[in-house]
Amino acid sequence: MPPSEKTQHPKPFKQRKSLATRRHEVAGIRTKFPTKIPVIIERYQREKYLPPLDKTKFLVPQELTMTQFVTIIRNRMTLMPNQAFYLLINNSGIASMSVTMAQLYKDHKDEDGFLYMTYASQEMFGHCVGYKNRSVDGAAAPDDLRGSAHDASEELSVILTESSGRFSWSWRQ
Amino acid sequence: MNSVSPSAVQYMVSGGAHDDKPSAQSRHHNGHGPVPDGIREGSGEPDEVDRLKAKFMSAWNNVKYGWTVKSKTTFNKTSPLFLLGQSYVFNSEDEVERFRQVFVSCVWLTYRREFPQLEGSSLTTDCGWGCMLRSGQMLLAQGLLQHLLPPDWRWSDCHPLSDVDFEVLKPRSPSRPAGMSLPSFSSSWTSPIPQRDLSSGSGESHRRTPDQCSAATHDPQVEALHRKVVSLFGDHPSAPFGVHQLVELGKESGKRAGDWYGPSVVAHMLRKAVARTAEFHNLAVYVAQDCTVYKGDVMRLCESPLTERSESSGTGWKSVIILVPVRLGGESLNPSYIECVKNILKLKCCIGIIGGKPKHSLFFIGFQDEQLLYLDPHYCQPVVDVTQGNFSLESFHCNSPRKMNFSRMDPSCTIGFYSQTKKDFESLCSAVSEALSSSKEKYPIFTFVEGRGQNYGLEGQSGGSMDGPANIFSCNRMSRNNKRGSTDEFVLL
Repeated sequence: MPPSEKTQHPKPFKQRKSLATRRHEVAGIRTKFPTKIPVIIERYQREKYLPPLDKTKFLVPQELTMTQFVTIIRNRMTLMPNQAFYLLINNSGIASMSVTMAQLYKDHKDEDGFLYMTYASQEMFGHCVGYKNRSVDGAAAPDDLRGSAHDASEELSVILTESSGRFSWSWRQ
Repeated sequence: MNSVSPSAVQYMVSGGAHDDKPSAQSRHHNGHGPVPDGIREGSGEPDEVDRLKAKFMSAWNNVKYGWTVKSKTTFNKTSPLFLLGQSYVFNSEDEVERFRQVFVSCVWLTYRREFPQLEGSSLTTDCGWGCMLRSGQMLLAQGLLQHLLPPDWRWSDCHPLSDVDFEVLKPRSPSRPAGMSLPSFSSSWTSPIPQRDLSSGSGESHRRTPDQCSAATHDPQVEALHRKVVSLFGDHPSAPFGVHQLVELGKESGKRAGDWYGPSVVAHMLRKAVARTAEFHNLAVYVAQDCTVYKGDVMRLCESPLTERSESSGTGWKSVIILVPVRLGGESLNPSYIECVKNILKLKCCIGIIGGKPKHSLFFIGFQDEQLLYLDPHYCQPVVDVTQGNFSLESFHCNSPRKMNFSRMDPSCTIGFYSQTKKDFESLCSAVSEALSSSKEKYPIFTFVEGRGQNYGLEGQSGGSMDGPANIFSCNRMSRNNKRGSTDEFVLL
């Protein structure tokens, strides 16, 4: 089974909510946690190998470095150290690993006040159509398969929650 | 040796599209191979069928995608071309000659067919799926040439270039500029056949032969080393860096023969392959994680005991190939990284970049203006038995340099560097850091960091010494399990 092809991609966060709503969310959370950075992390639309994350919105301590942040996300996905994992800022550039979230936020925050990141692994290269199915098949490490099956259901619950009109959010002290 | 050398076939086949005469030859060759075999192998055994299929596939590959049949590659005569850290301006024949020697000396590894079956599969070819493995092999081969051969080594048997044109900037007029006639470089499809075998080649290149390789070394010992390097990549289960071994190592990453590979996966496969080859106990491969080269980790790797066999200059320092897998954008290459990639390719310590166009792996070894210079593995050649002492080296070198626009480059790639000594490593760090700072993006493609990474070398080991972030993670993970259901909330880190 291909690891994630069957998984429905939810619409990107930006498309799910209006600018006003997003701004409102940021304003609310920033008053509660002035020292935390609101970050949106989404899977690259064409990502085939990394599992979906169960959550999209993160509140990150501003002094955290990218190295630390990447480690957290990697662990959350239970990736092997050898597995390729890149966090692209605004879906275009790699952030330096030594930079802090505060710096990153200053440089790249969106007009809605969130910092947007996309995660992706690397593309695979090959040509032969005859082998293609096999390749997608075999490309996933067992971890991938497990992660994706597990997370796919949670992904679904995101959609359900929202369609039932529950936009309220809570946080943990 | 076969009467028709692999490279001769290659040029005849690839020439098919442009030139009537080679086209006829190519049809002859393409048709000639499979058909009689088909009759002979018509016994109906499944693996015979597979073999026939593979043959058909390889021919099909060459036509359909692989070997892009295109017209001559045009080089600008006024702007510098960079190849493996050296610059060339093609305003004189000497420069072209200097370039030719270096380019043709690069090891070119391509799809092969009819090699011994890959373990656990019926495949006897890597056509259609192994291009990234081939690019990876080429990168390692380049590193090994630098590691083992003298820096000024050039392959003495090198061929004249084919399918290239040299033009001044903005070549609008149909007539080539006078005073710059380079007959042997704008030359024919048949010229790649070595001069000694050449019956019909252009007289011009024939005449030039004695000079052509004058700068190349003829030292038989060095030549034996060259041969040795090539043989390490033979398509045989016993070759340490051959497809068979690499596919075997790929299994640890969940890959099988026939799968597609990525530049990062291949980097780790090369690391493992070198690490387990006793012969290269004085060479290490370091693969950066998360776009960070931890100098402390590299040092540790290079300083690790050379065992008792301290034959290598006794410095106690291993040479190192540093591989940095990166992703230079989302869907396509982020154009602001182009300048930086160029600056990296200008460095002498850079041994190339494995990447490609989407789904089509290439080994990038230089650039001119807005175009990358590459070696293309998508040409399916019959296997060469490298265990024969005097195997033909021809099909392992390419004399047709090709270019493509940076804009077509796939963002996924692995950048390779080599440093021989500790001092080299230190200068590598500063040179590369400087090149990286040229990025138009706010942050560099990757960074060098003092100290050691957390995960490196922990593979398969339980992380007892995880600090900071890991702890944050673990409490976070617990909380995550407690509050399933409300997915629209923030995760507090």
